[in-house]
Amino acid sequence: MTRIACTAMFTLALAVPCLGAGSEMRFPPPEFESGYQFPETARPPTARPVVHEYIDVALLAVVLLLASYLILQRRSRRAIFALMIAALLYFGFWRDGCICPIGAIQNVTLTAFDSTYAIPLAAAAFFVIPLAFTLFHGRIFCGAACPLGAIQDVVLIHPLRVPHWLESGLRLLAYTYLGAGVLFAAIGGTFLICRYDPFVGFFRMTGNWNILILGASLLAIGLFVGRPYCRFLCPYGVILRNLSRLSKRRVTITPTECITCRLCEDACPFGAIRTPTEDWPEGEYQIAKRRLAFFLVLLPILIAAGGWGGYALKERLARMHPRVRTAERVFLEETGQVTGTTNASDAFRTTGQASAMLYQDATAIRSRFALGGALLGGFVGLVAGGKLIALSVRRRRAEYEADPADCLACGRCYQYCPKEQERRKQRRDARSGRGNR
Amino acid sequence: MKAETANMNLWHQAARTTTLVGAVFSGIFTGLLVWNLVGSALIGPTRENDLAALKVQVQKEPGNQELLVQIRQLDLQIRRDRIWRWDFAREAASMLLGSAVVLVVAGTFAGGLAKKPPRPQPVAERGELQMREARQARWSVVGGIAVLAVGMGLLTLTRWVSFVQGGNGDGGTPYASLEARQAQWPRFRGLAGAGVSTHANTPTSWNGKTGAGILWKTPVAVPGHNSPVVWEDRIFFSGADPNLRQVLCFDGKSGQLLWTGDVPTGPLPAGEEFELMEDTGYAAPTVATDGRRVYAIFPTGDVAGFDFTGKRLWHKNLGRPDSSYGYASSLETYQNLVLIDYDQSDGKDGKSRFLALDGTSGKVAWEAKRALPSTWTTPIVADVAGKPQLITVADPNVVAYDPANGKELWRAECVGGDLAPSPIYAGGLVLAIQPYSQMVAIKPTGQGDVTKTHIAWKAEDGIPDICSPVSNGTYVYLLDSEGLLTCYQVADGKKVYEHELKDQFRASPSIAGDKLYLLSLKGVMHIAQVGPEYKELGRCELGEDCFASPAFVDGRIYIRGAKNLYCIGGTSVGSTPDTK
Repeated sequence: MTRIACTAMFTLALAVPCLGAGSEMRFPPPEFESGYQFPETARPPTARPVVHEYIDVALLAVVLLLASYLILQRRSRRAIFALMIAALLYFGFWRDGCICPIGAIQNVTLTAFDSTYAIPLAAAAFFVIPLAFTLFHGRIFCGAACPLGAIQDVVLIHPLRVPHWLESGLRLLAYTYLGAGVLFAAIGGTFLICRYDPFVGFFRMTGNWNILILGASLLAIGLFVGRPYCRFLCPYGVILRNLSRLSKRRVTITPTECITCRLCEDACPFGAIRTPTEDWPEGEYQIAKRRLAFFLVLLPILIAAGGWGGYALKERLARMHPRVRTAERVFLEETGQVTGTTNASDAFRTTGQASAMLYQDATAIRSRFALGGALLGGFVGLVAGGKLIALSVRRRRAEYEADPADCLACGRCYQYCPKEQERRKQRRDARSGRGNR
Repeated sequence: MKAETANMNLWHQAARTTTLVGAVFSGIFTGLLVWNLVGSALIGPTRENDLAALKVQVQKEPGNQELLVQIRQLDLQIRRDRIWRWDFAREAASMLLGSAVVLVVAGTFAGGLAKKPPRPQPVAERGELQMREARQARWSVVGGIAVLAVGMGLLTLTRWVSFVQGGNGDGGTPYASLEARQAQWPRFRGLAGAGVSTHANTPTSWNGKTGAGILWKTPVAVPGHNSPVVWEDRIFFSGADPNLRQVLCFDGKSGQLLWTGDVPTGPLPAGEEFELMEDTGYAAPTVATDGRRVYAIFPTGDVAGFDFTGKRLWHKNLGRPDSSYGYASSLETYQNLVLIDYDQSDGKDGKSRFLALDGTSGKVAWEAKRALPSTWTTPIVADVAGKPQLITVADPNVVAYDPANGKELWRAECVGGDLAPSPIYAGGLVLAIQPYSQMVAIKPTGQGDVTKTHIAWKAEDGIPDICSPVSNGTYVYLLDSEGLLTCYQVADGKKVYEHELKDQFRASPSIAGDKLYLLSLKGVMHIAQVGPEYKELGRCELGEDCFASPAFVDGRIYIRGAKNLYCIGGTSVGSTPDTK
């Protein structure tokens, strides 16, 4: 009987939002023949006051300060979760997922490469503040303030462990994406990272179908794989993970010393807990040295090969630039290789510019992509070679610890540590003792 | 304790069941969204194509009320369907969101209840395990490098567009090559206005009454005396009346009207009326194509460029020309330029000029001011020893320009009066006609004023008033409007013969292979042998008045009659053009 009641309760919970969705259609929409008068065109929304941007910046700083306290001092997963939900609601749904530090990478890049572009103060602050906090306290931005991370975190219902080897391979994607995002922001005339933001459609409750499908797919994967976007795609995460290695005071699984009880071994859904290392078997050291030497030699080769490959792709990469795309379309139309016109080619023609000028611009952009493509390819080669080297170096760890780069500062591992439980018990006792007095 | 455990189990089972319900609902609504998306992607474009086809059809049959009703119904259906699908997507997305929320909440709840405390199992060789993991990770990185390399390789296989005209992988230019133009009929009287076809497989027998030898015949609703222009399987010409100006495109295979393109004009000044002589009409100038776009000009001064799908790319009004018989100069093209002889009135009011417009945008590329009166001749671009020369004729001068920039090359003061026959370039000479008076042969190799130095010869017999001459390089044939055909030697201007055809002519003569084609006003095509004596090869009657000069392309003759467009010839195409 109780089972039926519980099931009925959950099913009711399911039905409530569905009923709300249907209520709007109780009255049929007007027919074309009904003489329906369209309302006056709505006025365009007014610009958001600048003061709101300062409020956003201040709120971000407050959230990060609070997160630092909650994760490092209070060591409370529940409090961090509550803060994360608040950040999701404000920075995600209320502020439509914009501005965020992930996209701000492009604003900063454009500032460096385009002297006519002035970066908004909020964008600069959103880029810098999480970096500063990461430098001191690790990736607390990812754990508590990032709406993209939060929306994935809340859907994680049955985490499965991603094999270490697969994680190592997939992480190359994030570096490539970061490189491409920087390249296209610098010379590509497009903000690639914002364009392919997978969750902004959910925050705004509308968007391009392809992006919505991409976001839905990532969330579906996220039911079982913890934060797939953060771990394998996020370009800002790449910067944070490398800065986090330098952080002095960051998340530790245990509040005191590790007793290597192994209870936390599988606690992290993001695969960020590193186990103590043991000595390699005899003979392995010589092989490891030779391997390391090989990868050190391979590194410049990978950089050169990547650079060459990126250079060879300059025309294809340049197609991301709207001016190049328009030039290609106009050229195809003018040379009779396609029939019909597009909105872009029509718009170009209304400017009255000569097509030769357009081709000249497009050719200049392509030449910039020659260098940019080479740098992007070289960067990917450097990252791949660097990873191979890193995976060939012996690490020494005496206890279980959260990987400084991979730890997202979510606080899930705390409850698994007996030392943490002991600390909490002492705290509770101290409180109750005070209460008894 | 036992009761608490049992209660926990109940909650857990309920949460699991709800999770399952949430998952099923999420799946159903996802499926419905996909169905909706696929449906709109498959059905939407088909219906919109149908609607577009109906809209094209209604332009041909503007009075067809049934068609109009059909269009309105289909349009309404498309709009209703779109709104329905949009509403459906919104509803399904809301349901999906609700289901997903339940799935996640119940799933998290169930997961929390099912969570078991960790029980680490003994690990035998941790060092070995870590080494194996590192090895696998290295291979994974190598695999990632391989995937990136393959991705880059695949990307290099994609097509890109080089802006180097003519010499790239795409082989494209903003205008067709000279070789391609030679095989077509791109302007009035074909390439360079010579009236000469490079195809020899031209039909010699047909009959308009019986339909023998006529591939198709299509009625033309809009009047106009201009001539058809052909590019591959598209036939272009223009039509106009006092209120309408259109470019028409027909399918060369079926004769079906593919599209019509309207050319707008500005209102007349108050109190003015726009009337033209009936013989000239409102669409005398022939359109021209550069193989990519088609251009048209009308006596209202409106000039426009269309792409081959009928989309108007640009339009401009050059100012209404002051021309006593009505503006009639046809267009010429050079590369991407549209060349317009815009001489008017007496030439003293500063309005006369020669214009070159960019064919892609309609912008003025260059302009040459001329103090010359109205002319009804059409300019030609002649290939003189490998260098193009734009040759124009207007009282009293024959003037040659560099067509690329409008720089004047030479001029000869040798013609006068109301000039209608257009010049040709044949046998190394420019042949210009002063109606009823003389034909002048000029050597186009001079600079500046060549009146006294480069006139090779003059002829005075059988000089036409309207029709332009035609030549095979050895002989030049003149045809006046009363049917007198006169043949001269190109080299020295010596008269070879003259022949009375006893017919009236408005269309200019043409040569295809070794045959001379002379289309009379009554629609009779006189076919004669090209040579030093008149030898009739045949007469073919169309049964309809013909003002326009025919177009000859690859085994077919396209004739614009007063009311119909005809395609003469068989279905076989593909002869090799003689480009000599």
